[in-house]
Amino acid sequence: MKHYELAVEFYKKQGPRHDRALWAIRQKRDKAIKEVKEWEKLRQQASEIKDYVIENLHNLVDEFMKNAKKEGIEVYFAKDAKEHNEIVLNLLKEIDAKKIVKSKSMLTEECGLNEFLEKNGINVIDTDLGERIVQLRGEKPSHIVLPAIHTTKEDVAEILGENNTDPTYLTRKMRKLLREEFLSADAGISGANFLIAQKGYAVVCTNEGNADLGAILPPLHIISVGIEKLIPSMKDLGVFLRILARNATGQAITTYSSIFGKKEGGRRVIVLVDNGRFERLKTEFKETLKCIRCSACLTTCPVFRRSGGHSYRYVIPGPIGSLLAPLSDKEEYSDLPFACTLCDSCEMVCPVKIPFSKQLREMRKYVTNENIIIKFAEKSMHSATVFKLFSKIIRLTPKPFLEKITNEWSRYKALPLIPKERFIK
Amino acid sequence: MNIGLFIPCYINELFPEVARDTALLLRNLKINLEIPRNQTCCGQPFLNSGYESTLPQNFDEIFEKYDFVVAPSSSCVSTIRESNIKSSNKTFELVEFLHDILQIRDLAKNYPPVILHNSCHSLRALLEGAPSELNIPYFNKVKNVLGCKVLEAKRDECCGFGGVFSVKEGFISYIMGKSKLDDLLNEENLKQIKDTPIITGVDMSCLMHLKGIADKENIKAEFKHIATVLKEAHETL
Repeated sequence: MKHYELAVEFYKKQGPRHDRALWAIRQKRDKAIKEVKEWEKLRQQASEIKDYVIENLHNLVDEFMKNAKKEGIEVYFAKDAKEHNEIVLNLLKEIDAKKIVKSKSMLTEECGLNEFLEKNGINVIDTDLGERIVQLRGEKPSHIVLPAIHTTKEDVAEILGENNTDPTYLTRKMRKLLREEFLSADAGISGANFLIAQKGYAVVCTNEGNADLGAILPPLHIISVGIEKLIPSMKDLGVFLRILARNATGQAITTYSSIFGKKEGGRRVIVLVDNGRFERLKTEFKETLKCIRCSACLTTCPVFRRSGGHSYRYVIPGPIGSLLAPLSDKEEYSDLPFACTLCDSCEMVCPVKIPFSKQLREMRKYVTNENIIIKFAEKSMHSATVFKLFSKIIRLTPKPFLEKITNEWSRYKALPLIPKERFIK
Repeated sequence: MNIGLFIPCYINELFPEVARDTALLLRNLKINLEIPRNQTCCGQPFLNSGYESTLPQNFDEIFEKYDFVVAPSSSCVSTIRESNIKSSNKTFELVEFLHDILQIRDLAKNYPPVILHNSCHSLRALLEGAPSELNIPYFNKVKNVLGCKVLEAKRDECCGFGGVFSVKEGFISYIMGKSKLDDLLNEENLKQIKDTPIITGVDMSCLMHLKGIADKENIKAEFKHIATVLKEAHETL
């Protein structure tokens, strides 16, 4: 099913609930960013740092690998999802791991790591509350920061077999269940929000501290991360830590912002993943590599708020997903760049100033095949005389026929009355 | 000052009164105006649907000779701005032209209260007002030029028209339009209005979409393009 069908299905089931929940987050975000008087300057700074990163990505990867090794972290480079999954599996096999605790990582979703490990007999426990909810429901996250935003407290009570729908009660129950998993896991896997090239550190931001438990308790901690998460230095980290949580959820900073170097009394391994990123640098879509996955473009998108994340069918939904998905499968996701009104709201909230409208229009071009009839129409519209002829034809067309050809409009809205005469005759 | 009036093609076809009111308003303001008869379309429908278009270049050939090009549509103007043609920086949306170039304020100060729909392209592409996403001081050029009591929606989000979107995703487009309409006609706004509410805006395309919903659902509201409001107001000044 395509976006428009799934959107109708989702909205008919959910009504305005999803929109209201996300708009409340948008308002929290607006309030939080307005507390920082230099917000627009920070965005500019963040954008410039990321421009530098994408221009110097090869060097930064080399610098990071060198410095991380020096720090005492093992580093691997995976050219694609398959290679990444195999590296992770081998690391786990070495220690005969049966169960791993995982904190949120969009990259492992991109690589399909959970399914791959499960197939190889390793039990994967997602430990982010929202991710655990969708895992137990047998679903995928519908939002990159709020993975279970499409569910209700009743849904959560149901998967836990509880009658009590009090959110605090349910959260405590989940926390207790997860604690046992943390204590008995053989390894922890997390993503990373930033990699500091100059130091070889990985920075992980969470609100639940689940990444920290997974990083510290088991003897092996694996960090799976895309190469675009690199930033040059600790100084740059300050800019992004001020931006990330404010823009995502309206918090001043995430509850836990942990900087990981060498793991005391254990192994820490970082798997850097390319998976098409270096190739993308050479295309008109390279600016999508600036994304820090703050999710503000999803939350603000008026279409996303009504259609839900699953209607995008890709690991990353919303405006940024509509740019990333067609790059992974042009045919399958050709509808996504059109699931958008080009309203520019994503571009306005984007903390690294990805030119969304321009990129979405480019992406529409990328997924659209040349059409001889459209080409002819475009050419003929250069001439006012031909245009006038079209205009005459439309005026002679009976209204029922017009309504039929504009079906998708006429089902919900009255067609405008066509006046007898045009202005320029 | 030599002004070329650009009448967006859909306004020419469907809303000739908006074109007429734009021309009359500018003439009443003593602006020397020409309306090139060979003008057609800015190319937006093609460019936004994933096709190539040289219509902006065609636009340039027609309008290059003018000091300014003025058009009653923020959406068509932003297409021209983004097209990187010679006319890009001298093409203005009507209110933008009145506000920034002619420095006009309070043109409709005796007009009854209106409800303003801030179009996405007006707000976020042309920055005719401060979008809620940014941390910049509040301003709204449309309100400044009007000068009467102007009511707004609580959310400054998209009305759901989106051109090709309205026919590709009719349902979500409708849902967005309906919630925009409810927001524009919210209780607080209606309390401040005696007669049939007047919804205005700089883009007839958004208003056409909203009116389509209002008409189908018998919602009482009058939709008037900003050019019409300003022309009527100026005539009674």
